[in-house]
Amino acid sequence: MLLALAAAAIISILVTVGIVVVLVSEGATFFTEVPLTEFFTGTEWFPVEGKYGVLPLLNASIVIALIAALVAVPLGLGSAIYLSEYAPERLRRVVKPVLEILAGMPTIVLGFFALDAVTPALQNILPGLGLYNALAAGIVVGLLITPLISSLSEDSMRAVPNAMREGAFGLGATRRVVSLRVVVPAALSGIVASIVLALSRAIGETMAVTLAAGTVPNLSWNPLEGMQTITAYIVQVSKGEATRGSLQYESIFAVGLLLFVVTLAINIVAVRIVRKYRTVYQ
Amino acid sequence: MTTIETPGTPPPPATATRPLARKRSRPSEQLFKWLVMGLTAITIAMLIWLISSVVIKGAGSLSWAFLTDKPSANPEKAGFNSALRGSVVLMLITIVFAWPIGVAAALYLEKFATQSAETTERKVRERLGTGTGGALAAWLRVRLWWLRVRPRVVRLVDVNISNLAAVPSIIYGLLGLAIFVGIMGISKSLLAGGLTLAVLILPIIIIAAREALRAVPISIEQGAMALGATRWQAVRSQVFPAALPGILTGTILAMSRAIGETAPLIVVGGIVFGTAVPSLNPLDAGNEALFAMPLQIYFWTDQPQASFQAIAAAGIIVLLATLLVMNLVAIILRNRYSKRW
Repeated sequence: MLLALAAAAIISILVTVGIVVVLVSEGATFFTEVPLTEFFTGTEWFPVEGKYGVLPLLNASIVIALIAALVAVPLGLGSAIYLSEYAPERLRRVVKPVLEILAGMPTIVLGFFALDAVTPALQNILPGLGLYNALAAGIVVGLLITPLISSLSEDSMRAVPNAMREGAFGLGATRRVVSLRVVVPAALSGIVASIVLALSRAIGETMAVTLAAGTVPNLSWNPLEGMQTITAYIVQVSKGEATRGSLQYESIFAVGLLLFVVTLAINIVAVRIVRKYRTVYQ
Repeated sequence: MTTIETPGTPPPPATATRPLARKRSRPSEQLFKWLVMGLTAITIAMLIWLISSVVIKGAGSLSWAFLTDKPSANPEKAGFNSALRGSVVLMLITIVFAWPIGVAAALYLEKFATQSAETTERKVRERLGTGTGGALAAWLRVRLWWLRVRPRVVRLVDVNISNLAAVPSIIYGLLGLAIFVGIMGISKSLLAGGLTLAVLILPIIIIAAREALRAVPISIEQGAMALGATRWQAVRSQVFPAALPGILTGTILAMSRAIGETAPLIVVGGIVFGTAVPSLNPLDAGNEALFAMPLQIYFWTDQPQASFQAIAAAGIIVLLATLLVMNLVAIILRNRYSKRW
């Protein structure tokens, strides 16, 4: 019986091994036909013509993740400071779960929201904005990751001992000064880690960006244009009938491998940040 | 405030005893408070905007017929029934595979892997010393080796599980496509989708079950063992039942993650245009086309006609209502059955 339990625990390792083996082996077949240099330096992604330069896809993922961060960092940090330092306890207990609803929202719903409500609203402000644009995608992905930032940041702010706040109040500091100069710096490792983790989530996000940013690869930094992310490309190929073993079929594993490596690297950075800069208070 | 006056020094000037309360009403203080309050309010307002826009758009298309009709190319007639059935079967398959493995892994990691191995090691060595040979001796050597590497393996599993939980869900789709569809030869069906979702929520279930097990005080286990139970008996009949409500709560939350997942299902099964109605029998799942609520919503949202947008919104209402029910059940379970120790 114990053996069965141990086996179950080991299955989780097999999942990771499976992911790596699948991505690397299928990706390797892809890279025998498309050289790595072309993959990483090519500026055109146009599989039908055999052009496999990943920069447009990677660029789109980064642009949308950055827009998402621009939305989510102020909203998330503001909420975290409000909930941890200002809000009465009873209000906090209501607001926090409400914010977390956003984190549990299926991403398809956010995609629908972007296409159906956010883009039309943006078109009122910016006439000429296309139906598919990175801005709306970035905004809804930002909404998705806001609770991630606010929840984790608030946890680390609340872990700052009250004695530090009281000490600062005793020296005549105001609540704003205590929040910004005492609590935020003391909780900084947790705050930064939450932002980094949120970025990794934003880069891996799929449905909202597929629906809102469109399916045309476009190497551009202009958030008003449509662009296809790595994840959106995988969806686009999967929707059609790419035959197993074709170069297109293998290309989704190659870009999947890139996505896996990027998100894993970001997660490792987050763990390092916490480990290196964390201050433990009694 | 009281000012302590030392003899010989003049009383401090009036400005120095300015009451602290005045500082709080400085404009910058108020401004900052309004700023953080405003940011919180904006986030909540966006959530309200999201939900209300979906409800306004979809409520008109919501009817009993919508839930019982099969999909159709005509948005007036198209129903959500296949998607609902598909999601039910998917959840059954997911739970059947992910729950036992996830809970077993959690039990092992939390209750057995970290126990001292000294007694076991001594017993195994004694039996080896009695001069047994052949297969039994080989098995005993394997056990000794396992006891030696166990701490390292457990640490690896620990790191691995938290990393798995952060892997983008679409990557699990690629895994399912290559393993379940490619290597195992399962057709692009509900079964392949359910297995993929099972792998996806496995780390979430393990993490939740471990937390639930950790919440049961060690004294419960020690009490049972003091009365003569083995560790296995103590865990099975004391710790596990006590942790069960917590484990179930975590499981429902993991299921609510799985039921809304779209990307991995698209990668595994593509998008189905058919009008089939999948059977509710999970044993048929290997032959049934992959239908699911989020897939149907995606398909409708992707259509250019506005009338499809309306039924997509109706589908979203059904999906969100399901999520709401699942979360309510989880909260009730937690509040009613979880004990405070």
